[in-house]
Amino acid sequence: MNATNPVVNFKDKLLSDFQLFEQSLNGSSTLPIHAIRRKAIQHFDQLGFPTPRHEEWKYTNMAAVLRQPFRTQMGPPAIDLSADDFRPFLIDDLDAHVLVFVNGWFRSELSTSADEEAELCIGSFAEAQKGFAPAFDQHFAQHAAYTDDAFTALSTAFARDGLFLNVSAGRRVSRPIHLLMINDAREADYFVQPRHLLLLDANARATVIESTHTLGAGRSFSNIVSEVVLGEGAQLDYYKVQNDSPLASSIATIQAHQHANSLLRSFTLSLGGAMLRNNVNATLAGKAAHTDLFGLTMLKGREFVDNHTLVDHAVPHCTSNELYKGIYDERSQGVFNGKILVRPDAQRTNAFQSNHNILLSDGATINTKPQLEIFADDVKCSHGATSGQLDENALFYLRSRGLSLEAARAILVHAFAVEILNTIEVEELRTKLDAQITERLSFTF
Amino acid sequence: MLSIKDLRAAIDGKDILKGLSLEVKPGEVHAIMGPNGSGKSTLASVLAGREEFEVMGGSVEYQGTDLLDLAPEERAREGIFLAFQYPVEIPGVSTANFLKASLNEIKKHRGEEPIDAIEFLQMMKSKLRLVEMDGALTKRSLNEGFSGGEKKRNEIFQMAMLEPSLAILDETDSGLDIDALRIVANGVNQLRSDANAFVVITHYQRLLEYIVPDFVHVLSDGRIVKSGGKELALELEEKGYDWIKQEAAASPAVDAV
Repeated sequence: MNATNPVVNFKDKLLSDFQLFEQSLNGSSTLPIHAIRRKAIQHFDQLGFPTPRHEEWKYTNMAAVLRQPFRTQMGPPAIDLSADDFRPFLIDDLDAHVLVFVNGWFRSELSTSADEEAELCIGSFAEAQKGFAPAFDQHFAQHAAYTDDAFTALSTAFARDGLFLNVSAGRRVSRPIHLLMINDAREADYFVQPRHLLLLDANARATVIESTHTLGAGRSFSNIVSEVVLGEGAQLDYYKVQNDSPLASSIATIQAHQHANSLLRSFTLSLGGAMLRNNVNATLAGKAAHTDLFGLTMLKGREFVDNHTLVDHAVPHCTSNELYKGIYDERSQGVFNGKILVRPDAQRTNAFQSNHNILLSDGATINTKPQLEIFADDVKCSHGATSGQLDENALFYLRSRGLSLEAARAILVHAFAVEILNTIEVEELRTKLDAQITERLSFTF
Repeated sequence: MLSIKDLRAAIDGKDILKGLSLEVKPGEVHAIMGPNGSGKSTLASVLAGREEFEVMGGSVEYQGTDLLDLAPEERAREGIFLAFQYPVEIPGVSTANFLKASLNEIKKHRGEEPIDAIEFLQMMKSKLRLVEMDGALTKRSLNEGFSGGEKKRNEIFQMAMLEPSLAILDETDSGLDIDALRIVANGVNQLRSDANAFVVITHYQRLLEYIVPDFVHVLSDGRIVKSGGKELALELEEKGYDWIKQEAAASPAVDAV
């Protein structure tokens, strides 16, 4: 082994972590989940971390993150935290089930106390894997493939805690579930791997808001995998909010499996972070299922985001709609890779995708790549991508009414973002994000 | 108020204005007419400060200052208003919010206090009446999904709100039906005073039946080739522009009075 390569060192550390973890299990290694973990770590070992030589990582070089000497969080952290530490991360006026995770581990004493509604469906991954939930064993690691993706393999190998949501048939979770993913970088830099499993049975409905936050001035690196299974007619709204420190990196993967008539609405809202890689993958596996994928990115400094999406139309009569918008200032960079796969059987598919970007400075870049792979003949698919500066005509129009160039730019950037903000159904979240965007633009009406 | 002398302007290396002169005094309404491509809209754009147009020569003095030195927003704050031929749609920005921001920029420039919410609403209400515009439109995104007539009315509404000294109407009549034309003209007429002036750019005489000008100028190939009173517009309507072009070709350019 090349001991001087820090990325290899990090891989070796994770492999030896796994050995230590196995030794510490004291018998629970007989659980079915553990056989999967073992397979996953072997795949990770073989795959290694991706480099820009991989087609799916062409523009995204994780080496700068992977060479950092991150600590790993192998058990529930003994971190002293009070509500004051995360109060700014809560969403004002939102009546939600708030679940606090610290370095990937659920902290019930910091979370809202479980009421009747929560008790019926919300649990921790750590508890679920002990074998009380047959649905857990049925679905864990069955959707997010750990055979060809190193980060998913790693997540699977170290899957210890996170959200286990299991909404029974016909039930509506009335209040949004807010997952506060807190990373503590006050004294050390941590690599954390929360793992979520969200199962909504037929006609169940839920809204999940997941936001990541790093405490302190250190670095953080999260590798979060969410497996989602939507039964017939089920509906999930899943908001990922990334407005973290410029030293916070993450790999966030949502892998959804949708049965007939189900609806997934995914929102990826990236307002801050060092290296952000978001994979949103949905398989439409039952007739008349629909997927909405929305994304809003607004970065500055040297921040980086890579939005990779895959909509897999596996059966006929499904629809998908995707709109990602990005605003890149200073030297920030973006990647958008949107793949729509229409399999041979998937006739009568309607799939739409667009990606629009504004570059506010000469140093900002965006690489956008729509990827349509269509193997059926009776389909309607379209895609469109634009990248450019603010509309000169619109700028002039605003200035001709007395607004300064700066104000005119701020108004237009805000207006560009509003299209995505308006898709957010949770009003309190929309208000919070709007306020954050407005504040960053330093212009208010 | 406005003194344009021998103005030359080009876009993408192509000369459009080729020595245009015009004097506008407070209280006056000047109509600029001319065939397509004569430079009418270029004149409007240059006066409002659109940067794609390059001023190649000449001068524009506005209330004693060199207008060409000012950024578009500074011109607006000094009291110049351009009603656009093609108002821009801006999703996500309501007309009301946008106008309040504009108005306050202009007030700040004059050293005045920002307008308070109640005063602003009252002002909006009275100016909306002036252009017979539905107040609901001001809550919607600026011009987004507005009909052609609504967009033009919104321009005149904005003009009424911002109370400019010099308003330039760039083919405000284009695409308007007769009712909308009457409403727009009526709005302009009610805003006319001894203190402000209008430059009304139009292709057709029709608008001038409603907004009666003090002077009519004919623009051809980047210069004013004929000036006269309101009766000149009627003559143009009757004879067309070819007559002017021939006359201009036969004699050197006439400077406007």
